[in-house]
Amino acid sequence: MPRRIAIVEDDPTIRANYAEALRKHGYEVCAYAGRADAAAAFRLRLPDLAILDIGLGDDYDGGFALCRELRALSSQLPIIFLTARDSDFDVVAGLRMGADDYLTKDASLPHLIARIAALFRRVEAFKEAPPVEQVLERGPLRLDLKRMLASWNGRAVDLTLTEFWMVHALAKHPGHVKDRDQLMREANIVVDDSTITSHVKRIRRKFLAMDPGFTQIDTVYGLGYRWQESPSR
Amino acid sequence: MKRPRAPAFGLRAKLALVALCLLAMPWVGYRYVQEMERLLLEGKEQTLIATARAVATALHDRPVLMRVAPRDDSAARRQADEELQQLARSRLQTEPQQAGQNVSDAAEPEAAGARDQTVAPLHQGPADGELDEIAAILQGLERNAARIWVVNRERRVLSLTGSLKQAPPAAEPYPDGIEGWLQRLVRPLLSRLIRAPRAEFDEPASVTAMERSNEVDNALRGLPGARVRASADGQAVIISAAHPIWSRDEVLGAVVVEETSHPILSLRNRALERLLVLTLVVFVVGAAVLLAYATRLSHRIRTLRDEAENAVDAQGRISRIVSGSRARDEIGDLSRSFSSALEKLSQYHAYLESMASRLSHELRTPITVVRSSLENLKLQPLPEETRIYVSRAEEGVDRLSRILTRMSEASRLEQSLRSAERERYDLSAVVSGCVEGYRLAYPDRCIQWQAPIHSVMVSGSPDLAAQLLDKLVSNAADFAKPGTPISIDLALASGEAMLSVANEGPTLSEQIRAKLFTSLVSFRNQRPSDEPHLGLGLYIARLIAEFHGGSVGVTNLPDREGVRVWVSYPLS
Repeated sequence: MPRRIAIVEDDPTIRANYAEALRKHGYEVCAYAGRADAAAAFRLRLPDLAILDIGLGDDYDGGFALCRELRALSSQLPIIFLTARDSDFDVVAGLRMGADDYLTKDASLPHLIARIAALFRRVEAFKEAPPVEQVLERGPLRLDLKRMLASWNGRAVDLTLTEFWMVHALAKHPGHVKDRDQLMREANIVVDDSTITSHVKRIRRKFLAMDPGFTQIDTVYGLGYRWQESPSR
Repeated sequence: MKRPRAPAFGLRAKLALVALCLLAMPWVGYRYVQEMERLLLEGKEQTLIATARAVATALHDRPVLMRVAPRDDSAARRQADEELQQLARSRLQTEPQQAGQNVSDAAEPEAAGARDQTVAPLHQGPADGELDEIAAILQGLERNAARIWVVNRERRVLSLTGSLKQAPPAAEPYPDGIEGWLQRLVRPLLSRLIRAPRAEFDEPASVTAMERSNEVDNALRGLPGARVRASADGQAVIISAAHPIWSRDEVLGAVVVEETSHPILSLRNRALERLLVLTLVVFVVGAAVLLAYATRLSHRIRTLRDEAENAVDAQGRISRIVSGSRARDEIGDLSRSFSSALEKLSQYHAYLESMASRLSHELRTPITVVRSSLENLKLQPLPEETRIYVSRAEEGVDRLSRILTRMSEASRLEQSLRSAERERYDLSAVVSGCVEGYRLAYPDRCIQWQAPIHSVMVSGSPDLAAQLLDKLVSNAADFAKPGTPISIDLALASGEAMLSVANEGPTLSEQIRAKLFTSLVSFRNQRPSDEPHLGLGLYIARLIAEFHGGSVGVTNLPDREGVRVWVSYPLS
């Protein structure tokens, strides 16, 4: 049975383009123009994944409200924000609403589809543990690549998909400096340098919340970031 | 930012000048006192004429009295007599006709006889009884400060009583309180400006007689009159009034009453003194009030000015003006109109600030339409020759979207600066790290960098400092002549770390240098790279420098062609 993806997007052309592209990849797509339509449809039947724009017509923050409603209906449902807004404020607000990822409309369709696939993998992994785990371990860090889950000292770290891939890119080759372009490529996002910086900051904060002694992500000014194997305390 | 400065010619100085108008007050007062003095003198003349008339009335119709010679042999009187005689003679000689006519017109037989004997009676034995009578009459009229003469037609002094001199009036005692204190202050000053009446003055009877002739002449002709004259030595003013003594229709002699103007003068001086004191008090109080008012006014205006100057801060944020916004006068009005102008400015500012990001947001949607359509197109089976157009279209869209990202970079940075956390970090470590990166990023450029021995601790965000250096270096790399090095330098100077990036290349004019750090200002002639240039790089550098509490600037190299962009960071 094909997975159902809901797209809430006010621009009809973009909506149609995304819907067609997703259909070509074998998904079942329901497209909605406004918050009211979408909310009504979601109450009848939840999709398997939701792609939301933030500004919906005159409703400036309609996507945020919709995201909150969806989260109230289901805590497991993967939600991706796909929006033209690229300010830090919107990114933080969107992720805080409980979205699993936040993409700007610069992201190309293949990127979007790769992300959707990864999210579905993560959901599936929750349902049935795969027999062979693909795991990357670096000291206390453990990255489950199948389920897109990260843990630190055995406790799960709540990373978004973008963050997960960035951590993965860094931890894959400890000590190697990854510049911002490389991180962007690994995480499949198209953003500018300062957004990478704020992503890294957010990742650090999440780890620091669990372990105040976390210093593994090292900033190499002018170059990028690297994962330090042994904590430099 | 401009430092608040004191205006060259302040309100206070101006109002102090205006207060000088108050100085007209003493002048007006002085004129008033002068007028009063004149009136008093006139009154005095009238009084003296009245006195003379009264004396004359007592002596009317006594021709016998007038013919006698004075008995008193006092030196003064004798002298006065001689002078009078002399005067009469000289007058007869110099103006014989007039004098002759005069005498002959009025002459009675007795008078003519008397004239013939002008000299003689002096040497005759005095008619004691008559003179005593005159003296008795005059005795009753004797007054303190007046001199009364009785002369006969021959100008012989028949009687003289009283003296012009009198004991000087005791200096007026100072009243109690502030007024007295002020008078103590003012009196010496005043005595310098205006002469106090002198008790000592030289007014010998003889000279008096010479000068007195006018009104005596008139009186002898039958006309009462008065005259004001100076004493012989000019030290005192003497008012003299003469009145004829009649016997039927004939003038027998004249009564002359003299008095100094001293009482009037001392009155005038007292008035002036009080006037000066009052003016001084009013002037001081008035000036103090004006000064206080001016101080308050200029304080309010200065507060308003300072607020207006600081209303737009370094980050371009606009704050409200509070001072005097409730006051109901013109300054309150000014403050309110400042506020409303600033509000409009801040709205416009906000509009401009959001302009770039709004524009990029608005354009992003159509770009997404194009991009997603192209991507969908690529999924279709396409003939080979069409594919190239699709990829070209994608390239264009990519570039467009990079431009949009750059456009909103500054506003996103401003946003993140507002919430950025500050930390203490070693600037030289950041620069060293960055330089490693630049050597990789610009392999064909030589980047000269000498790290300082000591760590350079500043407060701010190391990520932002790296971003700033990125901008400066990429700028320098774009403008440097091929094969020339880019030198990065970090120096310590008086509590500041001075980071500079220098490259050889085209220099900048003064005009351009001032504008270079403003948003959306670019002076590139040609595009050296594919990256879009919107004139935001140096603006971003400025924002970051200001976030660190420092500043940016650009100078031309002194020794060779090129520019040096510097950033100052206050040390932490």
